[in-house]
Amino acid sequence: MKTAQVIMDTGAHAAALAVKSARVDVVPGYPITPQTSIMEALAAMVENGELHARFIPVEGEHSSMAAAVAASAAGARVFTATSANGLLYMHEVLHMASGGRLPVVMCNVNRGIFAPWTLWADHQDSMAQRDTGWIQYHCSSNQEVFNTILQAFRVAEQINIPVMVNFDGFAISHCLMPLTLPSQEDIDRFLPPYEPEWRLDPAHPSSFSNVTNAPEYAPFRQMLSDDIMASIPLVKQAAQEYKDITGMWDGDTIDTYRLEDAEVVAFAINSMGAELRLSIDILRQQGIKAGLVRPRLYLPFPAEDIISALPQNAQVMVLDRNYNFGHPGGILAAELKSVLFGRRNDITVKNRVMGIGGIDLTRQFMAAEIRAMMDE
Amino acid sequence: MNNMLELRINGFGGQGSVTLAHLLAQAALENGEQGQALPFFGVERRGAPVRAAVRMSPSSIHAHSQCELPDYVVVMSEKLTKAAVSEGITEKGSVIINAPYAEAVEKYCTWQVDAEAIAREAELFSADGPIINIPLFGAVCRVLNIPQNIMEQTILNKWPGNNEARNLGAAGKAYNEVKLCPMLF
Repeated sequence: MKTAQVIMDTGAHAAALAVKSARVDVVPGYPITPQTSIMEALAAMVENGELHARFIPVEGEHSSMAAAVAASAAGARVFTATSANGLLYMHEVLHMASGGRLPVVMCNVNRGIFAPWTLWADHQDSMAQRDTGWIQYHCSSNQEVFNTILQAFRVAEQINIPVMVNFDGFAISHCLMPLTLPSQEDIDRFLPPYEPEWRLDPAHPSSFSNVTNAPEYAPFRQMLSDDIMASIPLVKQAAQEYKDITGMWDGDTIDTYRLEDAEVVAFAINSMGAELRLSIDILRQQGIKAGLVRPRLYLPFPAEDIISALPQNAQVMVLDRNYNFGHPGGILAAELKSVLFGRRNDITVKNRVMGIGGIDLTRQFMAAEIRAMMDE
Repeated sequence: MNNMLELRINGFGGQGSVTLAHLLAQAALENGEQGQALPFFGVERRGAPVRAAVRMSPSSIHAHSQCELPDYVVVMSEKLTKAAVSEGITEKGSVIINAPYAEAVEKYCTWQVDAEAIAREAELFSADGPIINIPLFGAVCRVLNIPQNIMEQTILNKWPGNNEARNLGAAGKAYNEVKLCPMLF
């Protein structure tokens, strides 16, 4: 482990620094709040020669992901970033990346979706991409954003599946916090240059993603589904090896806090999962045996780790920053209930939607909400 | 977490509250602690009320909310004092106000500094007028017991080779001139 450097930086700039140190080859980019500062930083790094990559300015997110897919098929290490409606505009091409088995890494800076217009954090955008075949991380701090982007490239390239690294708009993207930067030597050891198994190459013409009849199409889809499920050990391995090399640990698929003797377990992702630690401390002071499970990985849903982490007979309070329209409550709660069904009948799940469109989620508020849910 | 210090800055757009938040978080790091600056981005326009959260802590900071009940409220213009305090502050909280005259806020420990006069005297001007966040940074460092050399180092790191003497002069003057107002009950 070489000497690491500590700086103060925003979540968005931390993301750009991680992308730079991953030595990406191609960055297609389109600005959208609150993601814009990532693209601005990367464009500047390419311009001033700090990052030897091709920056492709495009006219919209659909083109941005199309350029990412094309560059990845040509064997490049590719990064892009988006938010909210930009991510929705990419939706079709997200399937092209995953079905085409292209290891693109993208940051999505979580933001609510119109209408009405909003700029602030919620998770409707990333969760609306649940069935696109992307692996999804959700991060709770600037440091975790940095570390996770490097792990995401590792996982994506090992298994040829694109990875989305999500973090909350403003609460993380524009928040200045200390950031430990491992040495470039250590990062290069963790993430060697990308060597694809195949690539589109004009010198050796071939084709890619042809029309398939059902007998050929179905096995490809099954393989994608199987491989996404099989990515969990790779996610764990990447986290462990990153720790061995840099000394930094962010948890692998889930992060837990004061869970050992917990009777009430808060369950949430992203920045609210960080502040919830403080809510747990408040509840403990009030004599409530509270704990926390924060999935770092939303897709694949880390079912086995959650099932084995939850204490006996726990009441799980899911705090969702999104709506599962047509159902009471949010998407995270529905995912949790589906993995517990028939496996952990001792667990009760309660759910509340909160923090939509950037409503401030303070530790005091979330602790009070959990207390209120206990009485329901 | 019990040692985490929380501070909210209430100002008007254009007064430099985001930069003040960044300076304070940076000063925490220079002082061997963890720091966090969390500006609130709304539909800002120049002159509209804005705010930013700052946290300092000896250990990792997990909070990401906007400081509902801060230990300190920094008021960048005395016109905002009432509104700023009514947004929330802990019972034993303190208020640090940029104002020409010392006037305590009921129930709260109040510090006063004339940041505008200090910025004018140091000839620190932007297109919007006097740059008050540099003297306010000095004043807040003094109130938080951040050593003056840490304050100076933070400014020098932020703007190396740029207006060094005037920046340090203004921050240092405010560091020494900020004063506690007589309490009102």
